[in-house]
Amino acid sequence: MKLKTKILYAALGSTMLAGSAVAEEYPTRSIDMIVAYSAGGGTDVAARTLVPFIEENLPGDATINVVNRPGAGGEVGFTALANAEPDGYTFGFVNLPNLLSIPIQRDTDYDLSSFQPIADIVYDPGGFGASADAEFDDLESLVEYAEDKSGPVTYGTTGIGSDDHLSTLAFARQADIEMRHIPFDGAADVRAALMSGEIDLAGTNVSELVDYADSGDIAILGQMAEERWDGAPDVPTFQEQGFDVVMGSDRGLAAPAGFPEDALSTLEKAVEEAVSDPEFLEKAEEQNLPLSYMDSEEFGEKLERMNENIQELWEEQPWVEE
Amino acid sequence: MEIFSAIASAVPGVFSIQVIIAMLVGTMVGIGVGALPGLSATMGIAVLIPLTFSLEPLVALGMVAGIYNGAMYGGSIPAILLRIPGTPAGIATVFDGHRMAKKGDPKLALDISLVSSSLGSAVSAIALLLLAPALATVALKFGQADYFWLAVFGLTIISVLLAGNPVKGFLSACLGLFVGLIGIDSLTGNQRFTFGSSELLSGVDIIVILTGLYAIPPAFDLMTGKAGISAGHIDVSGSREKFPWHTLIPTWIRSSGIGLVIGLIPALGGNIASLLAWNEQRRWTKNPDTYGTGEPDGIAAPECANNADTGATLIPALTLGIPGNAVAAVVLGALLVHGLRPGPDLFRANADVVYGFMLTMLITAGFMWLIGKFGSRLYVNILRMPGTLLGPFVLGLTIVGVYSINNSLFEVWLMLGFGALGFIMEKLAIPTAPAVLAVILGPIAEESFRRTVLISGGDMSALLAGPISWILATLTVIAVISPLWKAIWPRRAANSGDEAS
Repeated sequence: MKLKTKILYAALGSTMLAGSAVAEEYPTRSIDMIVAYSAGGGTDVAARTLVPFIEENLPGDATINVVNRPGAGGEVGFTALANAEPDGYTFGFVNLPNLLSIPIQRDTDYDLSSFQPIADIVYDPGGFGASADAEFDDLESLVEYAEDKSGPVTYGTTGIGSDDHLSTLAFARQADIEMRHIPFDGAADVRAALMSGEIDLAGTNVSELVDYADSGDIAILGQMAEERWDGAPDVPTFQEQGFDVVMGSDRGLAAPAGFPEDALSTLEKAVEEAVSDPEFLEKAEEQNLPLSYMDSEEFGEKLERMNENIQELWEEQPWVEE
Repeated sequence: MEIFSAIASAVPGVFSIQVIIAMLVGTMVGIGVGALPGLSATMGIAVLIPLTFSLEPLVALGMVAGIYNGAMYGGSIPAILLRIPGTPAGIATVFDGHRMAKKGDPKLALDISLVSSSLGSAVSAIALLLLAPALATVALKFGQADYFWLAVFGLTIISVLLAGNPVKGFLSACLGLFVGLIGIDSLTGNQRFTFGSSELLSGVDIIVILTGLYAIPPAFDLMTGKAGISAGHIDVSGSREKFPWHTLIPTWIRSSGIGLVIGLIPALGGNIASLLAWNEQRRWTKNPDTYGTGEPDGIAAPECANNADTGATLIPALTLGIPGNAVAAVVLGALLVHGLRPGPDLFRANADVVYGFMLTMLITAGFMWLIGKFGSRLYVNILRMPGTLLGPFVLGLTIVGVYSINNSLFEVWLMLGFGALGFIMEKLAIPTAPAVLAVILGPIAEESFRRTVLISGGDMSALLAGPISWILATLTVIAVISPLWKAIWPRRAANSGDEAS
């Protein structure tokens, strides 16, 4: 054997050794977690609550840094995540349906194929809230009210293209009633407008309404989950009331496409263990987080399915006028 | 009474050694982030939240209270010494505060600001403690049409700010209104003036434009040695003129009232409270001719009002889950982390912690005074630093501060762009305050107007449907007409006087 080949073999051997060492040791340095919303917001608080539990379940003394990249309803952060180096050291929170509805509304530097799903963490079903002294307290009486009312029923949501907006569009079409969308900046503003009697209906996540239903200020007409959420066991689903509307907002984890296999499986396993940690479950309950864990495969399928639904809705009824 | 026993049972928790240390540290950090241009209470609290996971709730919340109160006061320190407001709420303090310092009494200016801020915070915290549930309903009385009139009324302050040169003032206001338009229109989802840049989709952060317009030109002046204030001709020894206690009492009462009311109404916040209070004080001042050129009440009014806003903003935030401004929103985040869900259930389920938190708002008002009392002797020494050192230091801080808002280098460039613009505006004697005011109020006025008309289905009469709208509309008309009236009336009187003689 020539010396040159020997050196080559030695070099190859050492790289392979080094390679396997890296695989065993992942993570060897700190991992960035991109959150596409500002520090102190709902997604941020959820992320920072979860992070220590993921760290605990990663091999070695791994650290995860939360990096806030807020802006444009999440687009800035999603784009940063999609364009990050898929080296195993950047992943982040993706919020649905924003992740999917933004590229439909405008040109973006990412699409669904830019991401490798890791896990779904939170599924917060949508819901309708009405003032406690309104003339309707379920979907049937809402439809009757809408048919008798001279003008359209006004409903507030957290914005154009939000899950609440899309689901109400679908509901209005199924019920064949006229509804007028009033976009607000956040769930708290919608609730304030409902409680001060400015709008007929609030379309927000059920978790945003339950405390106010308990206090008797707001009546929840229905929740858009397939099965009733534990936090609101008395509220019937839309399907139970004869409307096929299933919608909500998800907060899941994803990485840039091309993420290394071993890093993916390590992270996925750590996340799965984190979300079943009793201490984390307790914190989630305190914060009213409706947990709904899905592994990378299930979450991927959900993303595909949801993307098709939203595409369809857009083609029938584009919600942003050009 | 029930409420007093609730407060009493919260007291022992607050006076534990950890909570006291947390409040002290929080207040110091708050004064720091308030004083440094580009950094804000919002960011200070947001950064703190993850660090408090393992702490007792009250230890964490005591620190939050200190940061919130401290930052509102801290903003006035550079406003007075360097004419760089550390926060948007410090803009009005520049008018009289910096001029007083320039006249040679920075210590008195700092002390008036400190006492006024502490009093404002204390009044606000007491209102929060005793009246929170009762006052919370005020927030629900305000509809979209009322927000519209409130924002328009706020915009009329511009007419006063531009008293010297209306054309230049309007130019500045138009710049502000334009910047306020940038981003995604939240009512239709369309993009406005984003020039295809995804960084502009969420609009221009108020801190970016404030820092650009207000911090960069003075920093530049410091570097070139043109700054109007230096240790050479002022007294930095710590002695000062007598504190005008008795003359400021009515100012404090009025201004804390303004701060409280503005704080209760979600959306406006301390930034506007301080300008409204400064403007209102102008009508009451004993020295109308020199108001705005270094009068004590011109410092006391805005500083008292912006701190009186802190506790009041928390009233709708805690009881209804409606955060009135960005700081209140992150405070809600901090509560959530510790398992306290804001809303109707909060007071019932966690009375001890909630009342404890409110008490820390009150106690940190006192700590602020203590820290400021010793601190203001030190702050004055900033002026001993040569401008060629201080200038680049300020510039560096603004860059770090602005970058840290959203981890965005784009915003740093944008801030520097506004800095260049601010420099040009200064050279052309165009006031910058109307621009900042318009950036804050323009979008509120626009969105609430459009929402009102959207809800009513195009019926414009909805704008004047409620009593609050009528009151605010009337005040707006008076605010616009009265300066005109004053300008025309004396002239007429003088003319007719001439004829008579």
